Amino acid sequence: MSETTQQLILWLIPVAPLLSAVITGLFGPGILRYRSHLPCWAALAVSFVCSLILLLKILPGVETGALTNAVENAATAENTSLQLADKPEVIATGYQWLHVGSISVDVQLRADSMTAIMLSMVTGVSLLVAMFGSGYMHHDPGYPRFFAAVSLFVFSMCMLVLAGSFLMLFVFWEAVGLCSYLLIGFWFQKPSAAAAAKKAFVVNRIGDFGLIMGMFLIWQTSHNDAYPFLSLNFSDIFGNPELLQQIAAAQPERVKLICLCLFLGAMGKSAQFPLQVWLPDAMEGPTPVSALIHAATMVTAGVYLVARCTPLFVLAPDAQLVVTGVGATTAAISALIGLTQTDLKRVLAYSTVSQLGFMFMALGCGAAGPALVTPAVTAGMFHLFTHAYFKALLFLAAGSVMHAMGDVIDMNRFSGLRKALPITHWTFLFGAAALAGVPLMAGFWSKDDILAVLGEASQSEKYGSFFSIIRYVAMGTAALTAFYTFRAYFKTFWGPEKFPEEAGHHPHDASLVMAIPLGVLAACSVLVGLAFGPTHMFAGTLQRIQGLTLIDPSQQHLHWGVMAVSAVIAAVGIGGAWFFYVANPKLPGTIAGALKPFYAASTGKFYLDEIFTGLIVIPLYLTAKICVLFDRFVIDGIVDAFGAVPKMLSAIPRHLHSGIVNNYAGVMWAGVVAAVVLVLSIF
Amino acid sequence: MIPLLFLSLAAPFITALLLMLFRSSLNQQSARLLALGGSLATLVLAAILSSQYYSGAVRPLESSGTPLTSSADETSAIRPKVEFRQPWLSLGGDAEHPEVKFEMYFGLDGISVAMIALTALLTVSSVLISWESISDRASEFYASVMILEAGLIGVFCAFDIILFYVFFEMTLIPLFFMIAIWGGPDRRRAAIKFFLYTLAGSLITLSGLIGLMVYTSGEGLATPSSLPALSSWIAAHPIEKSLQVTLFLAMSAGFLVKVPVFPFHTWLPLAHVEAPTAGSVLLAGVLLKLGSYGFLRMCLPMFPEACVDIGLPVIGLLSVIGIIYGSLCALAQRDIKKLVAYSSVAHLGFCMVGLFALNTEGLTGSVLQMINHGLSTGALFLIVGMVYERYHTRMLDDIGGLAQRLPLIAVCMVFIAMSSIGLPGLNGFVGEFLSLAGMFRQDPLYAALATTGVVLGAWYLLTAVQHAFFGKLREPHGHHGDHDTITDLKPREFVALAPLVILCLWIGIRPATLIDLIEPDVKAVADIYTKTTDAGAQ
Repeated sequence: MSETTQQLILWLIPVAPLLSAVITGLFGPGILRYRSHLPCWAALAVSFVCSLILLLKILPGVETGALTNAVENAATAENTSLQLADKPEVIATGYQWLHVGSISVDVQLRADSMTAIMLSMVTGVSLLVAMFGSGYMHHDPGYPRFFAAVSLFVFSMCMLVLAGSFLMLFVFWEAVGLCSYLLIGFWFQKPSAAAAAKKAFVVNRIGDFGLIMGMFLIWQTSHNDAYPFLSLNFSDIFGNPELLQQIAAAQPERVKLICLCLFLGAMGKSAQFPLQVWLPDAMEGPTPVSALIHAATMVTAGVYLVARCTPLFVLAPDAQLVVTGVGATTAAISALIGLTQTDLKRVLAYSTVSQLGFMFMALGCGAAGPALVTPAVTAGMFHLFTHAYFKALLFLAAGSVMHAMGDVIDMNRFSGLRKALPITHWTFLFGAAALAGVPLMAGFWSKDDILAVLGEASQSEKYGSFFSIIRYVAMGTAALTAFYTFRAYFKTFWGPEKFPEEAGHHPHDASLVMAIPLGVLAACSVLVGLAFGPTHMFAGTLQRIQGLTLIDPSQQHLHWGVMAVSAVIAAVGIGGAWFFYVANPKLPGTIAGALKPFYAASTGKFYLDEIFTGLIVIPLYLTAKICVLFDRFVIDGIVDAFGAVPKMLSAIPRHLHSGIVNNYAGVMWAGVVAAVVLVLSIF
Repeated sequence: MIPLLFLSLAAPFITALLLMLFRSSLNQQSARLLALGGSLATLVLAAILSSQYYSGAVRPLESSGTPLTSSADETSAIRPKVEFRQPWLSLGGDAEHPEVKFEMYFGLDGISVAMIALTALLTVSSVLISWESISDRASEFYASVMILEAGLIGVFCAFDIILFYVFFEMTLIPLFFMIAIWGGPDRRRAAIKFFLYTLAGSLITLSGLIGLMVYTSGEGLATPSSLPALSSWIAAHPIEKSLQVTLFLAMSAGFLVKVPVFPFHTWLPLAHVEAPTAGSVLLAGVLLKLGSYGFLRMCLPMFPEACVDIGLPVIGLLSVIGIIYGSLCALAQRDIKKLVAYSSVAHLGFCMVGLFALNTEGLTGSVLQMINHGLSTGALFLIVGMVYERYHTRMLDDIGGLAQRLPLIAVCMVFIAMSSIGLPGLNGFVGEFLSLAGMFRQDPLYAALATTGVVLGAWYLLTAVQHAFFGKLREPHGHHGDHDTITDLKPREFVALAPLVILCLWIGIRPATLIDLIEPDVKAVADIYTKTTDAGAQ
């Protein structure tokens, strides 16, 4: 494939959705109206095909073929070209975006295997969600707006993973945040949606603060106090591992700080404790949006960032421990909250947060030893990959339930839907099985990889005990996951058939345009794990990026022991759910009554929102009020006091200007007398 | 290009003159048409000026025209590429007193071209937004707007101290009248406070300027009022440090009030709240930048040591406080215009942070921030004005869910809010990021504190958007009958707002165009400081 064709294909991936966004944005409301999905579908299909070509054709070709355009930094070291030989990347440069002083950032697309995997996942899931969305959103007055925003989102997300520098990544990191804001607040008439949109944006900004500081720190990091990077390009920063190692040896604290700052950014976007507060509220958006942005793609951007920065994180074991620790805390807490929620979408939202925690748990395992870095990152990214399919599926199925139930999503108000909504029921079941980790399903393989990596990490000398705790937390959380997922499943689809009033008399199952995406995703939930996990196809592709070493598949073995354990875990969780919600439906209420404080804490989401409000929001508003008072009475008071000085000085002389002519005449008379006396006394 | 420059300076003057001469025979309609014509003519002239400058100075090789060069020598940090010099007074000339010459020095460099274009653009928007809201004494009002425009353009093309100061003060008077005559209920107090506060500051600045001229002429500089000459002379004969500090502080006074830097900002919210929309747009959009522009032209090239020793730690700190404090004050406001006014304090804080980073990144960011703030805050005031015109309220508690009634205005509001928040891809981000990056090189702690403003900025502005435009529709009582007559964005308002929106997007996507224009001039100033730090390191 010629270089021009390669570049064209690379450009088409983001540009097609951008064009669709512009076309839909400009002509949607006036001309396209309820045909607004057409440009979006077409663009996403183009992007998806191009991503597949990139993944399957271009990148494997680069390895053997012309590497010249990829080797920009070949001059730095002789062995760089050797390293790059099995780390293929394609670069397409657009234009100089920002070129000031020592900051130089181009609009540039840079694709390596991790990017290509992300791209095919993002564009594939978006295409399915867009199909589903056209059925789900039909007759909504905001139809064109929805597809314009979705297209814009896919463009931004593609650019985010295609970014070749931290600044470009940040630009689109914010752009996906904007799309998230616009789509959460899609039904802006609802006060709760408007509030949730703002909350998502502001909480994300807290993370962005970290990301900005991380970028500045990297940009100004110097070696031997002489040579700052003065660059934000991945190739300059990650391309020279020896230099990085020297820097880390000389300034370990700085590297740690950089990693923690970057991780703060990741925590915001990927909703990790304590910044997870925005994600459950984000469910105010239309359900396809929850599936696409708040489950499959955007929220994984943080995981992607940490995985991308592996060369930095391996140099800061402390930071990696923080990553794992935060991930484990998040996973456990949100799984516990998920146990008692009655809103189906919120259960799924908490499970998303929890699964993201799993990914971070895996990513930090490199702290236990350099040999574990590659398996750790591979496990985390693999879970990201499989999770995207089954979680998108679950959300879309929940959307289908919501569609049929007249926008009711409270599980107490409906049950026994398996007869009325067979397609939804079966697809949801596949998704739930994948999430619960039923053997052979997608989630089983990826969760297994994570547990296996944690298991190996717990053997390490230095941090062994830390990782063993994490490992047990992970196992417990996995059991909880199976339990709450199937609790939701049983509560929704089993039991006596019950519909809310809003649903009307005959709730209808998903229409064809909604059923197809559900079916495809259900198939993916079964297959992606089996196809790419045990075959090492995923690992073999992913490991061709900077910072990872390619592990020979023959050295890899399946972790039979771990698999057996996790099969048991899944069985226990699902069996428990069956026992409580199908066999003995009265029991949960009794238990909830017996364990009242815990139950209240869990339904109250551990009061995290309240704590967040109490610790941050209210003090900030109080400070703001104080500032306003201070401004008015102290600062402006001083100004007014200065303004009063001339008035005070004039207080006495002012009385002389009384305006009474008699007084003036009297003074004049006295003056004349005085003058006469003076004159006379002289002569 | 010089005739063009004088034409664009004269056009608003002539318009104002016509408006005043025929004020008795002009009704509202003819007055606003005349003002629109005058401001459009100025805009066209400014546009031609910028494009000629761009092809002559930035891209000389690609155009057939002769490249523009400066008469100022290489050592000067201020080098106008286009200039007009006319001596008008000379003193001394005998043995005891060396000759001292004063000249009128008009010129253009990239920064002034950008600021002039911004002024011309915002004036057109201001005229359009006053179209219906100003009916009383319309011709005097538009005359004030045009005089203000002339004064602002004058400041940006003045390259000698006396001319600069004359124009600098000239801008006060029309705005004073705009606030005092066409303002809100508390307009008199606001106008007087605005006038006296800024005048008091700039009188101290004047003493500093005179001090600088007296000192340099005493030391043998023949043209002490010319900025390029002063700058190159000072590069060769550094001023003694204690004197630098004295003069720096004196000159800063007026600029600090004008910007305004915390704690000299209290006139601003009052003036904004009381000013008519056009006044707010020009005040926030251009007038405040006279302060930072003054620092850039007068203080940074003249007093490098004072800037490093006092400017960076003290004014830098005050600016950082201003960012946080201004954002917090904005967060607590219920009056949306006051909220935008306080947000200006925060945004100008970013501008000053970049300025006193004293390096190319920071200075470029600072100048970008001046322009970006002009565009986005100008647009914010336009939108607030549009809402006020429809509902006669600016209180967030009175309105809500307006996106249902005014969808297009809501779209513009969200767009401009994002630009103001500093969303990458729109203009605000570029300036903020470069300013912060520049400061990070000098003082990471200041930069970190200033960056919290990024979080707070999103917080207060999105809260305002949420309250006013989202949620349930809530309109003020007493207008129930005529709610159906309330229309979305009118064509006239669209014309006022659209150029700003397009520029916000364009600068965000292709900042290089603007950066290429200003960077050489910014770099000339930054080079003084790289030399200073190099000398310090050796």
